[in-house]
Amino acid sequence: MNTKTKLIEKNGSSNPPPTSVWTRTFTSNSEWPDKEEFLDVIYWARQALGIVLGIFWGLIPLKGLIGLVLFAVINAGVIYFYFGSFQNVDEDEYGGAWELTKEGFMTSFAGFLVTWIIIYSGLYYEVDKFS
Amino acid sequence: MWADTLLIVFISICTALLGEGLTWLMVYRTEKYQKLKAEVEKQSKKLEKRKEIHGDSLDKQHKKKIEREEERLKNNNRDLSFVKMKSMFAIGFAFTALLSMFNSIFDGRVVARLPFLPLNWIQGLSHRNLPGEDFYDCSFIFLYILCTMSIRQNIQKLLGFAPSRAASKQGNSLFGPTPGQFK
Repeated sequence: MNTKTKLIEKNGSSNPPPTSVWTRTFTSNSEWPDKEEFLDVIYWARQALGIVLGIFWGLIPLKGLIGLVLFAVINAGVIYFYFGSFQNVDEDEYGGAWELTKEGFMTSFAGFLVTWIIIYSGLYYEVDKFS
Repeated sequence: MWADTLLIVFISICTALLGEGLTWLMVYRTEKYQKLKAEVEKQSKKLEKRKEIHGDSLDKQHKKKIEREEERLKNNNRDLSFVKMKSMFAIGFAFTALLSMFNSIFDGRVVARLPFLPLNWIQGLSHRNLPGEDFYDCSFIFLYILCTMSIRQNIQKLLGFAPSRAASKQGNSLFGPTPGQFK
């Protein structure tokens, strides 16, 4: 273990980071030598966020344009905060902040709408119908 | 309400898997496709790197090299699309038949209640074949399209069939309406 650490120190950044993607995802200022890997993390985080927000919006229940706008703001904001402040990546390496902000947005939006609609209609449709 | 919506999610998972399965049978597993895909990805990455390094330089030699590589990539991308086309047609036909079958099953049935009022131009889709003027009612086709949008791409990504970012980025810029492309 000791020699391994020393070797990494000696070779600097040319060596791949020894930690797994999961650990690096939740550790701030991690190193991402493979751009695709980081973009994948952003992509899947977005999908998870979309589904979680959809469930919340359905349970509350949030209705109307405000639900859509809030989703877009939170989704973009969280991801922006994640790569800008938490991971501190150089946006230009990925083609600018816009490229990162829109990575997987449409798929996440579709997933969000599906969960929001399903939970909302499942829980509140009958109530709405008769009220 | 739960039954209909969950059934639609299940249907779209099944059709996405079926679509990917058929494409794998007809395209992904063929040697020609794998070779072309690897080639396109390699070239896209190489081109991207080259553009990053020499992007702003006015050196004619570099420019010529980049242009030559772009041309080669364009040809490979075109070949790749031709290989995919065959299965696209087959899947297109199969899915049109399936969709019309599901459409007739869910005809006139409100499958869900929308928590928002869709935009005017979406109402035609979200209220398709539904009675009444209550645009909060959701038709089968709208929910199915949304499910497919999210599930299909995620399944493609999970199975590793989605095109790489570098390739699609280069592909987009190449297939855009560039002047003098067909000279």
